[in-house]
Amino acid sequence: MVDSGTQVHKSMPRSGLETLLSVLSQEGYRLVGPTISEGAIVFDDIATTKDLPIGWTDRQSPGRYRLEKSGDDRAFGFVVGPHSWKQFLFPAKETLHQATYDESAGMWRQSDDHTVATAFIGVRACDLAGIGIQDRVFIGGKYVDQGYHNRRHSHFIVAVNCLQAGDLCFCDSMGTGPEVKSGFDICLTELDSTFLVQAGSERGDSIVAQLPLAAASQDEHKALLTGLAQCRQSMGRQLDTENIEGLLFGNLEHPQWEDVSERCLACGNCTMVCPTCFCYSVDEVADLGDDPPQRERSWDSCFSQQHSKINGATFQPAIKDRYRQWLTHKLASWQSQFGTSGCVGCGRCIAWCPVGIDLTEEVAAIRVGAEEPVSMPACETVTIAPATEQDAGESTTPIFATTEATVAGVVTEAPKVATLALTMPVGYDYQPGQFNMLSLPGIGEVPISVSGDSDGAFEHTIHSVGNVSEALNGLEPGSTLGVRGPYGSSWPMALARSRPVTVIAGGLGLAPLRGVIRRLLEQAESGSRNGDTEWLRLIYGARHPEALLFTRELEQWRKNPAFRVAVTVDQSTSGWTGNVGTVITFLSRKRIPVESLYLVCGPEVMMLAVVRVLLDAQVPPEHIYLSMERNMKCAAGHCGRCQYGPYFICKDGPVLGYDKLSFLFGKRGF
Amino acid sequence: MTATANPERPRLGVFKLTSCDGCQLTLLDCEDELLLLAATIDIVHFPEGVSPARSEGPFDLAIIEGSVSTAEQLQEVKQIRSQSRVLVTIGACATSGGIQALRNFVSGEEDGFDEFRKAVYARPEYVDSLATSTPVSQHVAVDFELRGCPIDKRQLLELITAYLRGRTPAIKNESVCFECKRRGTVCVVVTDNTPCLGPVTHAGCGAICPAFRRGCYGCFGPRESAATESLATQMKNIGRSEQEILRSFRLFTAASPEFEKESKRHE
Repeated sequence: MVDSGTQVHKSMPRSGLETLLSVLSQEGYRLVGPTISEGAIVFDDIATTKDLPIGWTDRQSPGRYRLEKSGDDRAFGFVVGPHSWKQFLFPAKETLHQATYDESAGMWRQSDDHTVATAFIGVRACDLAGIGIQDRVFIGGKYVDQGYHNRRHSHFIVAVNCLQAGDLCFCDSMGTGPEVKSGFDICLTELDSTFLVQAGSERGDSIVAQLPLAAASQDEHKALLTGLAQCRQSMGRQLDTENIEGLLFGNLEHPQWEDVSERCLACGNCTMVCPTCFCYSVDEVADLGDDPPQRERSWDSCFSQQHSKINGATFQPAIKDRYRQWLTHKLASWQSQFGTSGCVGCGRCIAWCPVGIDLTEEVAAIRVGAEEPVSMPACETVTIAPATEQDAGESTTPIFATTEATVAGVVTEAPKVATLALTMPVGYDYQPGQFNMLSLPGIGEVPISVSGDSDGAFEHTIHSVGNVSEALNGLEPGSTLGVRGPYGSSWPMALARSRPVTVIAGGLGLAPLRGVIRRLLEQAESGSRNGDTEWLRLIYGARHPEALLFTRELEQWRKNPAFRVAVTVDQSTSGWTGNVGTVITFLSRKRIPVESLYLVCGPEVMMLAVVRVLLDAQVPPEHIYLSMERNMKCAAGHCGRCQYGPYFICKDGPVLGYDKLSFLFGKRGF
Repeated sequence: MTATANPERPRLGVFKLTSCDGCQLTLLDCEDELLLLAATIDIVHFPEGVSPARSEGPFDLAIIEGSVSTAEQLQEVKQIRSQSRVLVTIGACATSGGIQALRNFVSGEEDGFDEFRKAVYARPEYVDSLATSTPVSQHVAVDFELRGCPIDKRQLLELITAYLRGRTPAIKNESVCFECKRRGTVCVVVTDNTPCLGPVTHAGCGAICPAFRRGCYGCFGPRESAATESLATQMKNIGRSEQEILRSFRLFTAASPEFEKESKRHE
């Protein structure tokens, strides 16, 4: 926000509130504010102050919310209800785009944006903090959610200072309230017979100039300060946030998780009412007729099974896993990701939990008998203060912007596995380890790692495990598909140049590693490894000989004297004369050079076992790199589905050094 | 409506076992989309809506409504399965046994089933049925179970479209609470102490009942991870009797394993 230089409080008679609403209305804003409906104070369209819950207050306790007459005529004499402003900035359901290819723009058409400039009336300090947190998620990083961006920039915020705390409030603990400090256009403080008014932006200034204001008296200033102080002292809840990230990740097996999982319904209400929870799902929806298929997103939650599901399996099957995922993210790993807690202390999740689970009590219980906190790995945090005024987004990439690729060739590698070579849009390039989102309109979109490039085409090795991958593998040369990318981190090529490299792959895990091998061999040809023998090793295992990928290339690699290639199968079939046994058995029998760099990709159980063998052999964790897999939908760190502790696998991964993973890797339920 | 055979289009068969026909009616209720549907697929067998019925397969998509309640139906589902590429079941009867599965709770008792028959039918001796009413998936492999009593029209269209396009149906297995919150409905449990099965019930209806300030009756049956025991404790805490809790779980999807187990805890 621009410092307008007018951040002083002015006094406004109570009737001025009506003037404020009508001025905003005349300026073209849709007015949304608190109003009574269904026994609660909710946010809805309002026209005049008559629509506000004047004379009403709320009484809240865990799993319980009641309205009461307050005995005064305050318009904002309550705290927060079941709604938050999130529903206006990040709607519960939204069409992302229609799958119509725009020839002139060279991309799939984005959904039309129907932003209506809206004035939010009565935003509390905790909710302002909540909006600030979602700004970091949706517009604070490399990728911009255009719809959110447009809404955020056109909306006008009338904030309200809280002079009374609710029974479930703990904004003081979270450092988000009760005082409104920044991020508003106008801030009101409701006193006994007047309002204090403060402008927080140029937009706010121009509105404030039209209000009936007088200089604020000393008594009014004093009432503000004592009101805020009293509010801080009367918080209904407290949360000790001291080293909370290390505490929660250091106590993943604390008995309290089991205790809470017996009460938790996994109904998702806490996440839906939370002003900061941002997870969403993306679905293809198609009509029967000729209308183009649409891609829709809707609020999702880590309490749904589908949230963490890939290839028919879910990473968080138990309610305990889901509650732990939610709390460790909300209060802990959020810090690593966004440089702030994900909790603003509004208390909604406590009130609107049907069984009244209170996160402040859960944390307090975990502190009892807690193990030592762990130290968290350094993370790339989204800390950019989002430019909420005008030009944000110009240097960033719109999320979901999909272009068209053509299938140049198809190679069948193994049963249900094929490599599609794709002719990509001009200027496309990638680093080994990165992935693309491939899509077919009306069928869906999946993340596929790039398995190499040759003759200007980029290869994608795909295992048919679901409808989308099956449809992709059914494409013929010349067919087109949607592509966006590349996304994610890559294998550490700089580190790989200066030392011996051991590539360990299981099953389809060779695909994201083939590009590394090819690049390293190319570099060696140019003379960088002169004199070195066996500087590159590959240990590759598959279930059975038919499942081996890239068999012709494996043969070529074997002919290279500098490259030691070992292939093993779990089960041999007739005609197989090679090694039999798992990658782990094979690896355990071999010398494990401590100075080598280890690049590992395969099923997670295999990677876990490989890491154990390597660590036993004294390989330093920072020389072990793994490629991880989670449920990736947006590929931009927005949809929240691929969370893994402090990481979004789509953005911070898929390739991560083991030193960054060690505190969590192998723990079930993440 | 009459059906004309077209070898080019996918062949659809709609079958009915023991049920009230409400779910099949949902297909006819599609109105605007029905013509599009009829233009896209060949409705081969659909006695409720199309004549003549042609129950001979093969079917690219078979939709079954109703529970397996008689010995003939037991044979029929096997026959349908063997003729169908994709088999989906629709509605509470086909997916959990339906309201008629209330008899399952007395089937082990002497004359228990007879008591049920006598209570329902004037001439019970004419009724020849199995002692239990069971979901189709208990007897043959089912590719997708669409929940609801009755099913939701949009979900049915999504299911058919998804199979036509070769895509996974965008049908979520989350709780009803998700849908309640997405539409901005205020929770009836938290504001009114209204008993509500929403937290343990499979989504899909769009959370209709709470939007009219009534608790969820659980017509879509249990969601995955249905924490029925915790919800029953909550119902008890707001003053519901054991009998009321038992009846909440023993309704349209009484024989679904999760709800059956919970209702038995309150016998």
